[in-house]
Amino acid sequence: MMTSAIRACIGLLLVTWLIAGWAQAQVPAPDEPTYRIAKQLNCPTCAGRNLADCPTETCAQWKAEIKAQLDAGKSAEEVLAYFQDRFGPTVLQEPPKSGITAPLWAAPVGAAVVFLAIAGLVMWRTAQRGAPSPASDGTDAHDPFVAALEREVRAGE
Amino acid sequence: MRTTHLSPRWSAKCAPESEGQVKGRSLLVAGVSTGIILIAGIFFVALNLVMQQGARPAPGSPAPDFTLKLYPGYRAGLPEEIRLSDLRGNVVVINFWASWCVECHKEAQALENVHRAYKDRGVVVLGIDYLDTEAPALAYLKQYDVTYPNGIDLQQRIAKAYRITGVPETFFIDRDGIVREVVVAPLTEAQLRAKIEALIED
Repeated sequence: MMTSAIRACIGLLLVTWLIAGWAQAQVPAPDEPTYRIAKQLNCPTCAGRNLADCPTETCAQWKAEIKAQLDAGKSAEEVLAYFQDRFGPTVLQEPPKSGITAPLWAAPVGAAVVFLAIAGLVMWRTAQRGAPSPASDGTDAHDPFVAALEREVRAGE
Repeated sequence: MRTTHLSPRWSAKCAPESEGQVKGRSLLVAGVSTGIILIAGIFFVALNLVMQQGARPAPGSPAPDFTLKLYPGYRAGLPEEIRLSDLRGNVVVINFWASWCVECHKEAQALENVHRAYKDRGVVVLGIDYLDTEAPALAYLKQYDVTYPNGIDLQQRIAKAYRITGVPETFFIDRDGIVREVVVAPLTEAQLRAKIEALIED
């Protein structure tokens, strides 16, 4: 019962994947160099949308500009620099690693360092605690819990 | 055989944390610290972006000054780069537009007509091209036989200073450099004439 349900699910996934692949194949292939550069830019009018995948008139004009500049012999870096100079750094999908956007890049690194430092400290302290005590029976003679336990046991006898 | 029961207070208050508990608590502290650093970074960037934007100039407030690089052939006798404050003493109609903006096309001819009608009466119509590439922008200006000064808003600095929400947007500025009206819609020639006349007579 369970096996047939899993088989049905896998079958459904395969069919969905094949249909999606076929549908994608029907979309005309974009001009590759233009598409690659457009992928690195934002649509200027739709929040959060990629220039390459946006069908608006604005984006069509921007893609035409990319193609025109590539046809004129400009490199991808030069085209991206043109867009950044003309419209500002917010057009870039990846914000520049300087200026006010620097903390966006620095924060994850700083956070990782802090996380590793605290985790390392914890592991070191845990290892220290776990080290064998000088007591011959393996228990810590100075452990207040052990001392209290011993007192209670003695009182109960 | 005697069974000894520890009083609950010992197990509740004095039992040391297990190694797993210590690790868990410390990882929680590390996670929270990491989160705080990330949130602080994002907050810093967001605050800077908001501060850069500033407030929209409301009617009655001074028009933010700016420099505008004019398109060649669309300078109307002005220098290549103009400053708004240099136009003090004139009524200035600042119009934000873009060639891809359908509504902008509706008012393009009206703006050109009022420019021709009022250019010798101390009125400057100033077109600010927003988020446009050069070729379509110049084609748009040619299509409507535009002769009033027009330039590109590089890096969206002017749009940010005036905090526009889209195009077209038109700001009417009096001779003293004070914003008198903001219109967030395409304007007809009659509307433009009425507003300009009111500022000239003021």
